[in-house]
Amino acid sequence: MTMAVPKRRWPSSTVWIVAAVAVVVHVLAWQATEFSPAALIAGWEGMADFLAESLPPDLSVLGKSLEAAVTTLYIGLLGTTFSIPFALLLALLASRATTSAAWAQQAARAVLSFLRSVPDVVFALIFVTAVGLGPFAGVLALVFHNTGVMGKLWAEAMDESDRGPRDALRVTGASGPQIALHAVLPTVMPSLAGLLLYRLDVNVRSSLVLGLVGAGGIGFLINQSIKLFRFDEMVTHILVVLLLVVVVDQASGFVRKRLGA
Amino acid sequence: MLAIRGLRKTFGGRTVLDGFDLTVEAGEFVALLGPNGSGKSTALRCVVGLETPDGGSVSVDGNAAMVFQKIHLVGRRTALDNVCSGALGRLPLHRSVFFGQDVREEAVRCLDRVGLADRVLERCARLSGGQQQRVAIARALCQRANVILADEPVSALDPQAAVQVMELLVELANDGLAVVAVLHQPELARTYAHRIVEMGAFA
Repeated sequence: MTMAVPKRRWPSSTVWIVAAVAVVVHVLAWQATEFSPAALIAGWEGMADFLAESLPPDLSVLGKSLEAAVTTLYIGLLGTTFSIPFALLLALLASRATTSAAWAQQAARAVLSFLRSVPDVVFALIFVTAVGLGPFAGVLALVFHNTGVMGKLWAEAMDESDRGPRDALRVTGASGPQIALHAVLPTVMPSLAGLLLYRLDVNVRSSLVLGLVGAGGIGFLINQSIKLFRFDEMVTHILVVLLLVVVVDQASGFVRKRLGA
Repeated sequence: MLAIRGLRKTFGGRTVLDGFDLTVEAGEFVALLGPNGSGKSTALRCVVGLETPDGGSVSVDGNAAMVFQKIHLVGRRTALDNVCSGALGRLPLHRSVFFGQDVREEAVRCLDRVGLADRVLERCARLSGGQQQRVAIARALCQRANVILADEPVSALDPQAAVQVMELLVELANDGLAVVAVLHQPELARTYAHRIVEMGAFA
């Protein structure tokens, strides 16, 4: 007896169409970005000049640089910390583990996705107009953007939490907020803490870019050095940035490992 | 104490319960036996509101608590905290952020009742399966339940722990609670239950 063999389905016409569209989009992108390896090879002398001017680094600005790096770290720290209450509230509203009303979930998700889709640099430019150039505008920008990102990550962590303890408390007659407090949050706390540290790490790096648009810290110094063509100072600042990023990344990684998250 | 009348439940066209009746008196321990898919668990879940029945009625004289096969404690919290959470249903929100002294004392008595007075501050994840199931029963007691519904309470436990949990459930029935347990081991049902109800599968 012959068995009916299912028809081979792959590659299907859908696969071919998707592949063709992907190729066309990449060709368009290649043209629009003026992608040109030849230009890179032809222009290598420019880079060489730039490097020659920037070496050796001017270490006389090291003190100023370290001070500004600490400011950058503080911008990232406050931006992360002050976003905790907003992110927590919105995450609790957005997660299906803690909120049953569909309209509330949708509203919280809409707010989170708005905050997430406006880049922190844009928030910084807006706040600079309100509070002037300086680190405070950077902190405000991070609070807004990080609320969106961290709120979403936290809501997802809550969504994935085990349903069992929630059901068990519902049977005891516990209300939604009580279940969030005694089943969901205790279960997901290590994940929330891990995500918080990950965001701290990212925000310290973001606050660097915020400095470039005038929000203080070491990014601001880098911007100044470039404008004054003091590339040797800039290299010092960049080395300090590397140090800062590595230290924060290692510290956050170490704590996250200990949390098992 | 517990009266189920004509309970019906269908999941996506598959009938799981079709006119199920069960009456359990205070002080009685009833075992539900039957093949997979015969609606034993579904019947219990309908009683506590985790499933909505398609028809029929459920009446509980007082307050029904549920004990699960997978136990469903918060493993990172202490036995005491888990037992206290059984009281949430009668606490207003502002008193349920931190449990008051009265609730904690009641929870310690419940843990003592299940023989775990010495493990009060132990994280549940560090307890054995049998101990965890007894913490879950203490949580049901802290809920001040008159009816305990146990959904395969010993299926995940080793034989010795299973015996301890079964003996505890019988004692609670003898103290005046109505206890219903879904069981998969007929010999445990015959040894401990006051009455056995066999449920058949629907084609």
